[in-house]
Amino acid sequence: MSSVRLKSIRKSFGAVDIIKGVDLTIEDGEFCVFVGPSGCGKSTLLRMISGLEEATSGTIEIDGRDVTGEEPSKRGIAMVFQSYALYPHLTVRENVGFGLSLAKLPKEEIRKKVDAAAEALQLTHLMDRKPKALSGGQRQRVAIGRAMVRDPKVFLLDEPLSNLDAALRAQMRIELSDLHAKLGATMIYVTHDQVEAMTMADKIVVLNGGQIEQVGSPMELYNAPVSAFVAGFIGSPKMNLYEGAAAEGLGCRTYGIRPEHLTLTADAPRWTGTVRHVERLGADTVIYLVVPGMGDMVVRTGGDANPEIGSSQGVSPVPGREFRFG
Amino acid sequence: MTNRQRNTGLVALAVATVFFILPFLFTFFMAVKTKKEAALLLFSWPSEWHFWANLVEVVQARNYMLLLAYFNSTVITVGAVTLLVIFGAMVGYVLQRRPSGWNKLIYACVLLGLMVPPAVVPTIWVLQGLGLFKTIHGMILIQVAYGLAFSVLLYRSFIATIPRDLDEAAIIDGAKPWAIFRKVILPLLKPVTVTLIVVQSIAIFNDFTNPLYYLPGKENVTVQLTLFNFQTQFQSQFNLLFMNILLVTIPPLLVFVFFNRQIVAGMTSGAVKG
Repeated sequence: MSSVRLKSIRKSFGAVDIIKGVDLTIEDGEFCVFVGPSGCGKSTLLRMISGLEEATSGTIEIDGRDVTGEEPSKRGIAMVFQSYALYPHLTVRENVGFGLSLAKLPKEEIRKKVDAAAEALQLTHLMDRKPKALSGGQRQRVAIGRAMVRDPKVFLLDEPLSNLDAALRAQMRIELSDLHAKLGATMIYVTHDQVEAMTMADKIVVLNGGQIEQVGSPMELYNAPVSAFVAGFIGSPKMNLYEGAAAEGLGCRTYGIRPEHLTLTADAPRWTGTVRHVERLGADTVIYLVVPGMGDMVVRTGGDANPEIGSSQGVSPVPGREFRFG
Repeated sequence: MTNRQRNTGLVALAVATVFFILPFLFTFFMAVKTKKEAALLLFSWPSEWHFWANLVEVVQARNYMLLLAYFNSTVITVGAVTLLVIFGAMVGYVLQRRPSGWNKLIYACVLLGLMVPPAVVPTIWVLQGLGLFKTIHGMILIQVAYGLAFSVLLYRSFIATIPRDLDEAAIIDGAKPWAIFRKVILPLLKPVTVTLIVVQSIAIFNDFTNPLYYLPGKENVTVQLTLFNFQTQFQSQFNLLFMNILLVTIPPLLVFVFFNRQIVAGMTSGAVKG
């Protein structure tokens, strides 16, 4: 268990700068999530921490030790890949114990460690199967088991849930959070899914175009985004963002208001729009309005609301919940 | 099954019979005939069956030369195929996984190895200079040189289908390059290795011209060259010649029958996807 410190990390492929100077500290035992759109450099950053990718400049410290030039296996990290990357020709037991057998540990010790990991991940009954005989969730657990037995200081997870179906993903989110609580290990998790970031992270790092946009706890990012980019990325449904004339009329360059911070009202509404589409989710109803002079506006309201399509609705923002950027 | 399907099936079977079964039957009938009857070179039912007598005569000919030939051919085939598999896989792996400026040059050399026809006389000079002419290991190296380009290409394209994540997972697990190759990549190459073993061992075992050029000498005889035992300028013993052919055909047939099932198993297992 230990901290990770990145100091002015840069990465270029030829003339293309992928990471443009990142400074970041991840504390001991923290669950840190890198989030951002595709191509923002989050996976590259993770691969640089793992050592699979070399940093063009800057230093990486794990546990206070400079590991910038170290080999991946000497950094005290373990990685879970998006594709799981299980060795297809080995059984679950051999897959999990692969790194230990490479390190020439005594057979008895390997068996003990592998069994312990299998128990923690409920894999005991699958130990003699090959990966192709496992379901997606089981493969995922094997990949995590392979990381666990190495007793790493830092776990690196590269979009580990993106190949699972929605129900399984929700379950694995909980399992991963439990695992983090149990192991108390530092975990760095890459995802493009803001729900995973919000639900699992102690600390979210929002990346955009190879730079850190904002670092903070999930609720900090939700309540106080520093830029329109972060505001639009965190929260679901997405925040309504307006630029140009509509925003200038409200005294800023970019104006933002979250769908859940808009209320339907007939009493002196700030805006009036036409209902274009209604999504009834049961507990909530998401209403898509077209507001003259503003454009599309999404409103999230209680499950009982059922406005007619084409009807006119008045909307007002909740006071103190509006965002004005720039 | 419709009529049309059945008819096309029958036609296909008939064509296959003409091409594959009839030559074999002809060989077999010739092999059991007497010398006189065989000399007529007719596709006819043998009037007398001399299977065992012909067999013994062929095996005993020239002081059991056929057995020595089996031994030599087996050594050459096993040696050459082993080296082809090892070097083909290693070169293919490095060529596919480690991009460098040299790769294009190496790849061009591999393609040249496929395209440029071998020149016999210069090769013999080189072999003589190296002291490898008329030696079994020299012959093995020749077969490796002729077959390596093909196996490198085969392995390279197959390794391209193995996800790079596996290499990286092994790196994280602490594997050095050699361990990645031997413990992760090589086991996954089994289907293509089996294919290569079948194709190359049959080709090398049945090779006639290369041993003829590069491996002269009575003690160096290979199976295909034993066919000369029964065919000379003035006299041909066709019954024994065909018995010899029959005996020489058996080992490759066994290789194919044995590995054929594995080729199919390898192709259907989908062993690559994690």
